[in-house]
Amino acid sequence: MKLRLCHLYPELLNLYGDRGNVLILCRRAEWRGIAVEVTRISLGDKLDPKAYDLFFLGGGPDQEQGVASADLLAKGPWLKEAVEAGAALLAICGGYQLLGEYYRTSTGETLPGVGLFAAYTEAGNKRLKGNIAIQVEELGTDWPVIGFENHGGRTFLQGTRPLGRVIYGDGNNGTDQTEGARYRNAIGTYLHGPLLSKNPHLADYLLRLALQRRYGEVELPPLDDSLELAVNEAVYRRFLPTKGKW
Amino acid sequence: MLRTFLALWAGRLAAFICRLLQRGGTSLPGYLALKIDPYLMGRLASRYEKIIIVTGTNGKTTTTNLLASIFRAAGLKVVHNSEGANMPAGVTTALLARRGEIAVLEVDEGTLGLVTRQVKAHMVLITNLLRDQLDRYHELEQLAAAISRALAAIPAATLILNADDSLVTSLGRGREKVRYFGLARTPWSQETTSEVLEGHICPRCRRPLEFNYYHYSHLGDYFCPQCSYSRPPAEYEVRDLELNSGGARFDLVYPGGKLPLRSPMPGIYNVYNVLAAASAALQLKIDPATVGRVVASFLPGQGRAETFSLGNKHLTLMLVKNPTGLSIALKTLTAGRGKATYLLAINDLAADGRDVSWLWDADLSPLLQAPYHRIICAGLRAGDMAICLKYQGVKEANLKVIPDQEESVDFLLEEPVDEGLILCTYTNLALYRRILKARGAVSEVTPLPSLSGTP
Repeated sequence: MKLRLCHLYPELLNLYGDRGNVLILCRRAEWRGIAVEVTRISLGDKLDPKAYDLFFLGGGPDQEQGVASADLLAKGPWLKEAVEAGAALLAICGGYQLLGEYYRTSTGETLPGVGLFAAYTEAGNKRLKGNIAIQVEELGTDWPVIGFENHGGRTFLQGTRPLGRVIYGDGNNGTDQTEGARYRNAIGTYLHGPLLSKNPHLADYLLRLALQRRYGEVELPPLDDSLELAVNEAVYRRFLPTKGKW
Repeated sequence: MLRTFLALWAGRLAAFICRLLQRGGTSLPGYLALKIDPYLMGRLASRYEKIIIVTGTNGKTTTTNLLASIFRAAGLKVVHNSEGANMPAGVTTALLARRGEIAVLEVDEGTLGLVTRQVKAHMVLITNLLRDQLDRYHELEQLAAAISRALAAIPAATLILNADDSLVTSLGRGREKVRYFGLARTPWSQETTSEVLEGHICPRCRRPLEFNYYHYSHLGDYFCPQCSYSRPPAEYEVRDLELNSGGARFDLVYPGGKLPLRSPMPGIYNVYNVLAAASAALQLKIDPATVGRVVASFLPGQGRAETFSLGNKHLTLMLVKNPTGLSIALKTLTAGRGKATYLLAINDLAADGRDVSWLWDADLSPLLQAPYHRIICAGLRAGDMAICLKYQGVKEANLKVIPDQEESVDFLLEEPVDEGLILCTYTNLALYRRILKARGAVSEVTPLPSLSGTP
């Protein structure tokens, strides 16, 4: 078995240790004897929609994101074609915003997005940042998905379903308790950085989604995740408000 | 006037009491004084003939202390904030000292504007702009823009800027008095980098920059293939650098001369600190021989690679606060070293930065390739550090997660190897120092004399 992973704009969209997720996906596949091939695709490169099982798109500083977004618009149709054909995708923070329909800046300017997710983003005046925990039902487990968010934009879903429900933290917009977006096997989320490090259940879920495109239903042998889950639980409990907003 | 008078004496009284109680007192006196007279910082600053501000992400404290030592050796009366209290309260505490000829002020890069609004500095030295505490400073380009606005308040100031940092050089655009310092290509310069980088978008035309080589992080020889933006020629340049664990030796080429320098501080980041301080001193016409003499004997302050002995153990304590700092610390500490136990103590309190995602941006390869006996992960985010190491290939048998700091030290002391290297985020630093002292560890660093001269 082989996993074909496409890392988009690795040198531009790499804020907050996002690249850690690629490492984690590779390791968790390799530990199970699954070969991994990582292709780095950046400005001006062609993107073969049939060549990859899993796409990764990180977040970036405003300038880098601006440079990447123009190029991503050109690659958008290929990316959509791949997702329609069943490829898995993980997009974080800035990458997530770019895959929506548009981003409206604080000056009212509307920057077009790829339109993979039926969602739009508006600039907010205060950054939403801090530790966050969400519940993702599709994972089929009670373990929350936890991470850190730090974003100025507010994303509003328009038909696309969310990735999860906010337990604590702000999520998409700080108001409707939704976090992230799901469309077919594509996931967008504000949980930035090494998101998968404390969420091995989410990492394996993504691996299964990616592999089923070529190999059908895949059963992944369990790994020893005691370290990861212990940290998941410790961070979850540490920041759990006694009087939550839910 | 009465208000200023009251503020001044309240601050001085607080400083006196702090010293009686043997408490640090690096911020409290200034904090109290500013509460009484919010303009006191500016009034105090106007009493100095020259004010030099040192800012940037890494190296501020070492550069400030070295520069102050040089001035003092040159016979000048100097006031400075020696211990890194670099917010307005700390700056004011330093200025509460009796009138001096020269003030060297370390200023936090995020609050520079609060200081320059009042303090009309004659010179501003900027070390570098690196990824640090993203939850607080947000993005580097935004930080650079804020620094640029702060500098606009002091148009007459001479800027001493790092030529190798494209973000820093962008601050010199449109300014009249700018001098650059930098490193010529060294044997350690690399054409590619495994670190996560910023500052690689052209500040002028916003296309990706290209690099002929990197010294570390995004510092190096950059150019824009689209427009003509590139590393400016450095008026103060390090040439023929030799670097080993015992320190550095190089020639500093400057307008009108060449100064051979030798420093006992290891690591390329300290070469930058020496270069920055020496450039500022030479620019102010300090005798080059004096600069050379001070550099040759100057060691950084406590906690910035402080070594301790405890029984047969040799322990090193080092501050790491951002990915570049961690990458460089590991590269420096592991170089040529035998089997050692490493202790990485990561906290996520406000002063550390609440977000520990940055651990994954660091280049841990020097540690992974070093002959480590064990890696202990400690602090509030011990587990995050351990997971990062696990996925980088460290076997779980060689990893030990002990969040409690006291316990982590006891475990370290029972390890069968004599060498222990402790890397701490900000809020762990003083704590580990205290724990080591309580266990009987003896610092091998001669502490810096109290330099701030607070009355």
